[in-house]
Amino acid sequence: MTVVTANKLLGDPVDRVDGPLKVTGAAPYPSDVTYPGLVHAVLVQSTIAAGTIRSIDAADAEAAPGVLAVITHENAPALAEGPMTPLLGPAPPSPLKDNRILHHGQHVAIVVAETLEQATAAARLVRIDYEETAPVLGIDNPEAAVLRNPWGLETQRGDAAAALASAEVVYDETFAIAAGTNNPLGLFATVARWEGDRLIVHESTQWPTMARQTLATVFNVPENDVQVLVPYLGGGFGAGLRTWPHAILTALAARLVDRPVKLVLTRPQMFTSVGHRAETTQRLRLGATRAGRLVAIDHVGTSTLGAEAANMEFISIETGAAYACPNVATHDRQVRLNIPSPGWMRGPGSEGNFAIESALDELSYTLGIDPLELRLRNYAEVHPQSGLPWSSKALRECYRVGAERFGWTRRTPEIGSMREGNWLVGYGMAGVTFGGAQLPCQVRVSIRRDGSAHVRSAATDIGTGTYTVATQLAAELLGLDIGQVRVEIGDSDLAPAPPSGGSSLATSLGGAIRDAAGNLLRAFLNVLAEDHRSPLQGRRRDDVTAADGRIHLVDDPSVGETYSDILARHELDELAADGEINPQADGAGMAPSGPFAARFAEVRIDAELGLLRVARIVSAVDAGRILNEKLARSQIIGATVMGIGMTMLEETIFDPGSGRIANATFGDYLIPVNADVPDLDVVFVGEPDRFSPIGSKGLGEVGIVGVSAAIANAVYHATGRRIRSLPITIDQLL
Amino acid sequence: MDIVSTLRVNRTERPFTADTRTTLLDALREQLDLTGTKKGCDQGACGACTVLLDGKRVLSCLSLAAQCEGREVTTIEGLARDGKLHPVQAAFIRHDGFQCGYCTPGQIMSAVALLKEGRAGSDEEIREFMSGNLCRCGAYPNIVAAIREVARLGSESQ
Ligand code: FES
Ligand code: FES
Repeated sequence: MTVVTANKLLGDPVDRVDGPLKVTGAAPYPSDVTYPGLVHAVLVQSTIAAGTIRSIDAADAEAAPGVLAVITHENAPALAEGPMTPLLGPAPPSPLKDNRILHHGQHVAIVVAETLEQATAAARLVRIDYEETAPVLGIDNPEAAVLRNPWGLETQRGDAAAALASAEVVYDETFAIAAGTNNPLGLFATVARWEGDRLIVHESTQWPTMARQTLATVFNVPENDVQVLVPYLGGGFGAGLRTWPHAILTALAARLVDRPVKLVLTRPQMFTSVGHRAETTQRLRLGATRAGRLVAIDHVGTSTLGAEAANMEFISIETGAAYACPNVATHDRQVRLNIPSPGWMRGPGSEGNFAIESALDELSYTLGIDPLELRLRNYAEVHPQSGLPWSSKALRECYRVGAERFGWTRRTPEIGSMREGNWLVGYGMAGVTFGGAQLPCQVRVSIRRDGSAHVRSAATDIGTGTYTVATQLAAELLGLDIGQVRVEIGDSDLAPAPPSGGSSLATSLGGAIRDAAGNLLRAFLNVLAEDHRSPLQGRRRDDVTAADGRIHLVDDPSVGETYSDILARHELDELAADGEINPQADGAGMAPSGPFAARFAEVRIDAELGLLRVARIVSAVDAGRILNEKLARSQIIGATVMGIGMTMLEETIFDPGSGRIANATFGDYLIPVNADVPDLDVVFVGEPDRFSPIGSKGLGEVGIVGVSAAIANAVYHATGRRIRSLPITIDQLL
Repeated sequence: MDIVSTLRVNRTERPFTADTRTTLLDALREQLDLTGTKKGCDQGACGACTVLLDGKRVLSCLSLAAQCEGREVTTIEGLARDGKLHPVQAAFIRHDGFQCGYCTPGQIMSAVALLKEGRAGSDEEIREFMSGNLCRCGAYPNIVAAIREVARLGSESQ
């Protein structure tokens, strides 16, 4: 395994192995699945945000052509609650439990008919009489229940209050970020089929292993009798981490009508049914010396939450780790409202970065210190909370390389000093410290007599490139060509895997593949232990390596033989080995690092019209070893685009009176289009991470973090307007 | 009300039975087993369902199947010929013009039409005329690079 541990930062930029399927329309997404006898389901959602259902009249719907069933809380069997979920907390409450309404758009019935058109038409005939009560809405609502430190993730070190009281310079501001909606382009779909007591579900999920466990628990069947399939997923961005009520309803409908049932959420339903980025407010206080050393940080993050749902949210989670500041206190608050449950959306917790990095920018003007220099003065050489060395950290290099590529030195510090004709030009930057995780993961790797290798795990590829990087890693570790490796994922029957989420999968799965590859070489040597005809007889794992489809001695590559020869001589079709990782940070003597980055943005603002244009963004990223440079760059670019959306366009608007989402379509909820995207430059720096078995750190989320602060800071530099709320809209600039 | 109709899809006559309300998109996906064309909104706002109708790009979610009788429909499945990818398809792979791939059939059909329309003269033009096709994965710069390359190769070969 010499190649992986070698100090090689950039993995080969090979094309996506699933590319041919995707460009020909042949990649099967859950909504593409069909079965003989398949019927269609459509949801009915509540039109009030709080209250109870007095009565449901489903007679007309039931009598409509083609209708097979109308399932409501009145006739639905009781379902168990889903299990406690690692990472995420309690599962979303099971649907159709009772007559209570907790948010606008709650599923109150599911209609099943022979065709989609019939089900859609019949769903409109379900008449519901509500007893409405006043919904609790608005993040500042004094009537809302507030949870304090709900997840036990608050940080304390030193004495932030005392240090603030005595600081030479004190900063105290509040920030607000609108709710956002993940809106993967793929409408979430469930196709459910029962074969006796066995349930097969094609499901838009980022986590088949957890979806299987959830469905098994809810329907009270053994986990082995549930199979969740998702070979391709049309994006997720966190929306697919949960097994949401609509999936449970589809499986329930399939059981009741005894036919395969397909449900595809509509775009408006994608706003109410699969989570969203919580609306947040933050109060941030900093204490600093006049020389620009932080002495205190006190950070309160408040986010919205559904009335009875759980969502692990931790806006200030990175605050304590970002800078070398002796006194830090962070606080998490969640406010219960009559809204659809928020969930994770790309980079949960990254909202805190907007506040911290905006505040440092403000401080830089107050103190007359260059924003980049101010960050360097507070650079955390070791993990500030634990005092342990980082497993890798090249943030300084991110700053240096990013600044150079951007041309940061061309920036003149005075506000409004960089004009170009009618355009005010602004330069802004932000630093990024983000979490990354390795999670327990298993995989099975085998080699067949034809020399092909097979990698199998219940992991997913949601567009992140799992198929490709798993192929590359296995090929590298087993000494095969990429074309000889087949990766099978997206099937819960395979070895358990963590989600495509938390920037964790590539590193976790990669670590497991590395372990499996080592075990597989050991298995081959075991086969040869008594084989006098093999030049490798009696050799140990450390004596050999693999290249060109053969195992050979490290010291003498001429001594060895091919996998195929070994298998053929021993009349074996295949040899397989399992691998896993079970990361334990305790006792490792280091603080496991997530990715770091520096972002630099140039904006242009029309002085008269207030029009804001992002001209370019440079991202310098330390994500440890990059498994595939081409795909990694795409990940960072894609997340940056989403960051531009969050900064300038995206806002899920809850009507303050009714709790209805007022803009639940792509026509009204704006996401960036092709013409919105400026020149995006990405560079990777750093070195392989010491804590990660394959040297990589997470890449899926870091690309969105810091975009908002860099743009807002550039806006200030151009105009002198400090915008502390997102999205930044034209009225704030006029 | 059910109708029996025939669509000419990817150079083949395809009879189907559907409702008068059935869109071209649902007819392709649910009746004719051509699931390459995707539904991203069903409201004409995302471009995932783009197909060519008599060579011009249309949103199949906004077209009724019954109105397409006798016209030539080309979907993503009909683009490759004799197992050889269309140049736009190949360029999308080379330039990594997608991640999840869900918008990709629509992007590619749009790009094919855009090249025919002669709207790929500059990056700005490509960006502008591809802005009806949303990509939540944010593959836009790579999509532009792929189309730019095909446009350049095309004009060189002329
Ligand atoms: S599905 Fe037709 S435009 Fe979105
Ligand atoms: S590739 Fe995922 S939406 Fe475009």
